[in-house]
Amino acid sequence: MKNKLEKLFKPKSVAVIGASRDPDSVGYGILKNIVKGCVFENEYCKPFKGRIYAVNPNADKILNIRSFPKITEIKEDVDLAVIAVPAKIVPSVMMDCVKKKVKAMIVISAGFAELGEQGEKLQEKIKNIAQKADIPLIGPNCLGIIRPSSNLNASFAPAMPPEGNIAFVSQSGAIADSIIDWAIENHYKFSNIISYGNRADIDIHDFIEYLSKDEKTDAIAVYLEGLKDGKRFMEVASKASKKKPIIILKAGRTEEGTKAIASHTGSLAGSYEIYKAAFRQSNVIIADTIEELFDLAKALANQPPCKENAVAIVTNGGGCGVLAADHCTELGVNIVKLKKSTVEKLDKTGKMHPAYSKANPLDIVGDALPERYRAAMETLLKEKYIFGLIVIQTLQTMTDPEEDANIIIELSKKYPQKPIICVYMGGRFSKRSRNILEANQIPNYHDIKKAALAMDALIKRGQHKK
Amino acid sequence: MKKLDFKKTKKLLDKYNIAYPISQIVGSEKNAAELSKKIGFPVVLKISSSSVIHKTEIKGVENNLQDQKQVVAAYEKLSKIISKKKIKDADILMQKMVSGTEIIIGMKRDPQFDVVLLFGLGGVFVEVLEDISFRIAPIDNKQAKEMVQEIKGYKILKGVRGKKPVKISALVNLLTKISKLALENKNIQEIDFNPVIADEKSALVVDMRILEHEK
Repeated sequence: MKNKLEKLFKPKSVAVIGASRDPDSVGYGILKNIVKGCVFENEYCKPFKGRIYAVNPNADKILNIRSFPKITEIKEDVDLAVIAVPAKIVPSVMMDCVKKKVKAMIVISAGFAELGEQGEKLQEKIKNIAQKADIPLIGPNCLGIIRPSSNLNASFAPAMPPEGNIAFVSQSGAIADSIIDWAIENHYKFSNIISYGNRADIDIHDFIEYLSKDEKTDAIAVYLEGLKDGKRFMEVASKASKKKPIIILKAGRTEEGTKAIASHTGSLAGSYEIYKAAFRQSNVIIADTIEELFDLAKALANQPPCKENAVAIVTNGGGCGVLAADHCTELGVNIVKLKKSTVEKLDKTGKMHPAYSKANPLDIVGDALPERYRAAMETLLKEKYIFGLIVIQTLQTMTDPEEDANIIIELSKKYPQKPIICVYMGGRFSKRSRNILEANQIPNYHDIKKAALAMDALIKRGQHKK
Repeated sequence: MKKLDFKKTKKLLDKYNIAYPISQIVGSEKNAAELSKKIGFPVVLKISSSSVIHKTEIKGVENNLQDQKQVVAAYEKLSKIISKKKIKDADILMQKMVSGTEIIIGMKRDPQFDVVLLFGLGGVFVEVLEDISFRIAPIDNKQAKEMVQEIKGYKILKGVRGKKPVKISALVNLLTKISKLALENKNIQEIDFNPVIADEKSALVVDMRILEHEK
């Protein structure tokens, strides 16, 4: 499948069929996204560097791109065709694409299976065209795909997200849309954003299989409504999760499903319960909300798995330490008891405050300067029985958040086998230091619970890898 | 969907080596009285019919019968229910009464994932607390063990307040057997083993309901 989808994600040339001069149309937005990288301009927009063609029988040029009446009239090869024409003419446009021997087709147009029986027939028709020609078809009724490393925004999403190592595969186009805006604010960085719509041909398991081998992707985040082939999904996800973490947010959890009251088992086994069992058996990590999906993805993509369930907390605020221990314990994250020898080592550093906690959570007291943070963190990271660290920093008059961040980054490089999760509690005054952390692959959260959840996911990942 | 009758159910359980208490259909009061002595008290009498899915709703179970006199009375009572409610193809089944921890083990065929297995403590635990675990088949011993350990009530199975622990390995075996049974018999849609009674020596399927597609 890798080769089959290669040209979809790394095309040398793109044609937009249904490109339009009307700035309010989808056909205009897609072409502009390819030409400029985005419609809503920002620092992450990257224009596509390959050849671009517009296809529109009524225009010569759109956005300074030459327009052709039909794709077959383009002389050079076309790798990717993005189709945004009315549903009923999609089949004939696709036949042209087959003739042109494109390598992949994205059908943005709506008006297929989501409309009921009539639309289903039309969808079956385009599926057959694609499968007979052995050309991958994405959609219909989707937002498209974005791959920053290919400078490719083949979608009608408003902008390109920051480039990173999380692949987001979404059954909802609108969620993918909003995430991009959110990503720019929240340090979510993407290798791919994929909206796959009605999945007439290429389905979630095809993407997971591709992404598990994609050199730009370190974690796969999925928003899922339903599956067509649960068994196939489990097979692919089990294999892919050996290589990369998969995190799924499933919608449609409260739906009663087919309630066969005939037996106990029938009424107890709700559809989400069954999905959850399938996810767990495939080593897929389950997220509860959209925010959690990306919070976990961020940690899993950028930090190593936590090899054993034995974690330490370093904090300059006692209350935060207690809360962190509560959240961790509730989740089953083990806050390991410090050995006497560890406390002795901490004492020996000469950096500890006389009133420091001498226990885990390690409260190094409010007046902790960067060197005390370093001494505490390094002593704990060196210990063979501690496998991960949650670092909490509250802002006090003498706190130096930027220097603390630099030390965390340095230690993270020195102990690459042990995950570090940060909680820089604060807002405006710690923004710069948070940016430093995130730019260096240290996940930071403004709330302790989120950090506990992230560590929990890294521990699960560690267990999956065993 | 149609419930498998007693004979077919028994045959299937035997084929997969699934253990249940001594169970036999009794044809008359006299037969019931004789058999109860042979099996040993206490015994249970229950209505067995492929058209009855929920036995307790028709009061079709007489528990804890201590002597032949009670057996005869119970037999009469159940016969009356059968004729009064006009239950089709009904039999009266006698079973050796067993005691221990009540467990539910089940299977349902899901359109997405095919065979889904369920495990939980019986009675109030399943009814009210829904303390249950699920797996998609096939499962091996390790996964079956996880299913058992995953429920909150696992502590009860391990023995609390002086109660002896139940035989976990018997439950694990039962789960892998039902996994195999379901995968090999595509016509079977749902299975309820409710309750399974477990003690320190064994896990016996006391009541079973196997539903298959109507042909």
